[in-house]
Amino acid sequence: MQQSANGAQIIIHASPKLGQGLRHRPPVAILRFTVILPPMVAPLSGPNSPQQLPQSVICADLLRKEVLFVTGKGGVGKSTIAQAFARQAAQAGKRVLLVELEAVSRAGPLLGVRHPGPQPQRAASNLDLMALDVMDSLRYFAVQQLKLETLVNLALRNKAVESFFQAVPAIKPILVLYQVWHMMQVHGPRGDKRWDLAICDLPTSGFVQGMYQIPRTLQQAFRVGPVHNYATGMRAMLADPGRTGLVLVTLPEEMPVVETLELQAILQREHGVQPAALILNSVVPAGIAPDDAVMIEQLTAEPADHAMRASLWAAQLLAGRRQRALDLLPQLVAAAHGRVLQVPCLFRRELPLAQIDQIAAQLATDLAVAPA
Amino acid sequence: MKHSARRARDLATAKLVVLAGSGGVGKTTTSAALALAYAIDGQRVLVLTIDPARRLLQALGLQTEHASGEAVTPNVAHEVLPRLAHLLPATQHGLGLGQGGTLHAMMLDPTTGAIAMVERLLPNPAMRDQVLNNRIYRAFLPTLQASPDYMALELICELAQSGAYDVLVLDTPPMHNALDFLRAGHTLASFINDRVLKWFAKVPLPGKKATGLAGLLGTGGSMAMSVLGRLFGADTIPDVAEFFVSFQEVLPRLRDRALATDALLRAESTHFVIVTAPGETSLREAKHLHHTLHSHGIGATGFVVNRVLRLPAELRSPVNAPQVAEVLANSGIAVDRAQALAGHLQLAADRLRHLDIADQEHLRSLRELAGHGGLCVSVPQREGDIHNVAQLAVLGRTVLDGARGEVVF
Repeated sequence: MQQSANGAQIIIHASPKLGQGLRHRPPVAILRFTVILPPMVAPLSGPNSPQQLPQSVICADLLRKEVLFVTGKGGVGKSTIAQAFARQAAQAGKRVLLVELEAVSRAGPLLGVRHPGPQPQRAASNLDLMALDVMDSLRYFAVQQLKLETLVNLALRNKAVESFFQAVPAIKPILVLYQVWHMMQVHGPRGDKRWDLAICDLPTSGFVQGMYQIPRTLQQAFRVGPVHNYATGMRAMLADPGRTGLVLVTLPEEMPVVETLELQAILQREHGVQPAALILNSVVPAGIAPDDAVMIEQLTAEPADHAMRASLWAAQLLAGRRQRALDLLPQLVAAAHGRVLQVPCLFRRELPLAQIDQIAAQLATDLAVAPA
Repeated sequence: MKHSARRARDLATAKLVVLAGSGGVGKTTTSAALALAYAIDGQRVLVLTIDPARRLLQALGLQTEHASGEAVTPNVAHEVLPRLAHLLPATQHGLGLGQGGTLHAMMLDPTTGAIAMVERLLPNPAMRDQVLNNRIYRAFLPTLQASPDYMALELICELAQSGAYDVLVLDTPPMHNALDFLRAGHTLASFINDRVLKWFAKVPLPGKKATGLAGLLGTGGSMAMSVLGRLFGADTIPDVAEFFVSFQEVLPRLRDRALATDALLRAESTHFVIVTAPGETSLREAKHLHHTLHSHGIGATGFVVNRVLRLPAELRSPVNAPQVAEVLANSGIAVDRAQALAGHLQLAADRLRHLDIADQEHLRSLRELAGHGGLCVSVPQREGDIHNVAQLAVLGRTVLDGARGEVVF
C-alpha cells in the first residue's frame, strides 16, 4: 500500500465494523479525517477490492469543491440530490448557488422562489437559486466580454443572431459552463467571493458529454481569440478534481445502474473524468429478516389471515427490492473507487423540504451496516 | 387551434407515433411494445430510438447482454420480428408474419446521420467534400451527439417519405425540454430562412472585399456583426463565413426538409403519446408536455403511465398490528417477538399504501387531462424490467386498442 500514514487511517475507518462506531463521533472528529483526504484520490483500499468510503468523508470532500455537477438518467432523482446537497452545504455554512436548467423549475416551488431566473435569488439562508436559459447565458457572456450592456442587448435582439444561437448544436452546455465558471470568480465589495459552492442540476447525460466535449470543440473551431482562451480555461477547470466534481445519480435497478456505468466509462475514456461520487438513490431500508419472513409464510400457509398475508407480501416485496439494490452495489463501488453514497427510499411520491433535509442529513451520515 | 386532440381509437390507423416523456419512465419499452403490436396486426413497422443503452434492441431481444459488445449498426433497419415470433403466445404466433407484418428496429447515431444527410443532399462529390472537410463543420460534428433532436426528426422524415413502412414509432431522445424537439424543424427552417445566412455568406473572406453588408442588414446588423467579431475574435468570422459559403448549396434543401419535418409532426395521422410514471416530478412534466403540445396546435392522444403499484385489496386499509401480533403469538411465537414482527409487517404495508394513494391520485388527474376519447393506460409495476416479449405484446395491444384502464399481464 503506497498510501501515507494518514491515508491508511482512512482505510481503517472505511471498514464496516469501525465505520459503525464512526457515526457516533462528534463532527469535529469527522472534519479532521476529511482534511487529510486528498481530493479525488485513487482507490484507497487497493485496486482489487475497493470498499465503500464513509458517507461523511465523501460528502465533506464534495462540499469542499467549487462546482458540483449533478446528473443521471431521467427520473433517478438528480434534482432531489442536487437540492439535498445544496441544503446540506448551506446548513454547513457554505454560501451556495443552486443552478437549474430545466424548463420547469423544481427547486423554485420547493424553496419558495416564485420566478427563478438568470438573476440569483435568495432561497434560504446561505442558499441562492438561479434558473438559466441559453439566451440568458449568451447575454451574460457578451456583457462580461464587452462591458457594454446596451450594445449587447441591441446585438442580441437581432433575430438572426438569436436563431443562430438557438440552432447551434449543444451551445447551451458551454454557455452555462462559462456563466457558472465566471460567477464563481465574482468578488464582493470586500474582496470576498460571493459563493463558496455552485451546485448544477444538469439535464441529461447527453448534456454532460457535451459539456466535456465542447471546450475541446471550441478550441479547434476558434484557434485564437477570446473564445479559444475561455475554452482553454474551462477545460482546465473541468479537469481539476479539486475544484469541480461530477456526481452521477442512479436508482438501484439494473437498467439505470448499467447506464450509469456506461456513462462513467465513456467519460473516463473520452475525457479522463472520474466521478467524484456515485449516488445510489432510493434504497429500501432494512425490514423484516428473510428467516422471519419464511417463518411467517409457513405460519400463514394454513390459516386464511388475509391481512397478515398481504402485509407479508408487502414486506417481501420491499425486502426483494432492498436485496437487488445491495446486489448492484459492488459494481458501483468498484467503478467509483469506493465513492458511493446511499440514500434511503422515503416512500413518498413527492418530497417537500422536510424530506429533502432528511436526505441531506443522510448524505453526510455513515451507514450503520456496510454491505458484505 | 385547428387541430383538436387525437382520439385514442385512431391510433390503429396512425402513420407516425411519437412517444414523448421525461427520461426513465419506460418510454423505450413502451415504444417497443407498441411497435410489436402494430407488426402483429400485419403492418410494416419501424421503431427508431437513439437510446444509448440500446434498451430498445434489448427489449426486443436483439441484444441480450450489454457487455457482449455485439455491434448493432446505427441508422440501419434491423428486422426483428422473425426472431420474436416464436416467443409469442400460440394465439399470436406468426400472425404478423402471415399478414405481411414486419418489424424493423433502428438506432440513431446523429454523427453518422449528419454525414449521410450531407451526402444525400449533395450529389456533387466536389461540393460534398468541401462541406465535409470544412473545419467548423468537423469541429461541431461530435457535439451533435448531445443534441440529436433534429437528426432524429430528419431521419423520421426520410423514412416517412420512403414509403417502406406503414407505421413509424419514434422513441424521442432524452432531452431536458420537450419543446426543443417540437421546435427543432421550425428553428432550423427559420434560421436558414433568416438573413443571418446571407449575412455570414457576405462577410469578406480573406483577401476579398466586403460587399453590400450595410445595405443587407442596416445599422443594427453591422453592429451585431461588430459585436460578434469582438466576442469571438474577428479572425474567426471568415471561418464561419466559409462554413456558410460551402453550405449554401445544402441550405435551401435543408430548409425544405426542416419544413417537411415540421409538417409531418402536425399531420392528422401523427400521434403523440406521453409516457410517464408515478411521482410528482414525472406528473408535472407530463402535464407540462401535454400543455406544450397543445400550445403548438398538436393535441396529445393521451398517456401511458408505467410502474403503477398494484396493491392487494387487503392493504388498502391500515393493517391492524395488534391483531397480527396476536395471530403470530397464537402460533407459538413469543409475545415480544410477535409484536416486533407485526410492527415490521405493518410498516411495510403502510409504506406501500402511501405510495398507492399517491398513484391513484396521479392517475385520476391524468385521466381528467386525457379527456373523453383520450388514451390513459396504466401499466402495473413489475419487479424487474419487462424482458418478456409476450408481456410486451400485451402492453402494446392495450395501448393500440386505445383502452382506458389497466394493462393486465
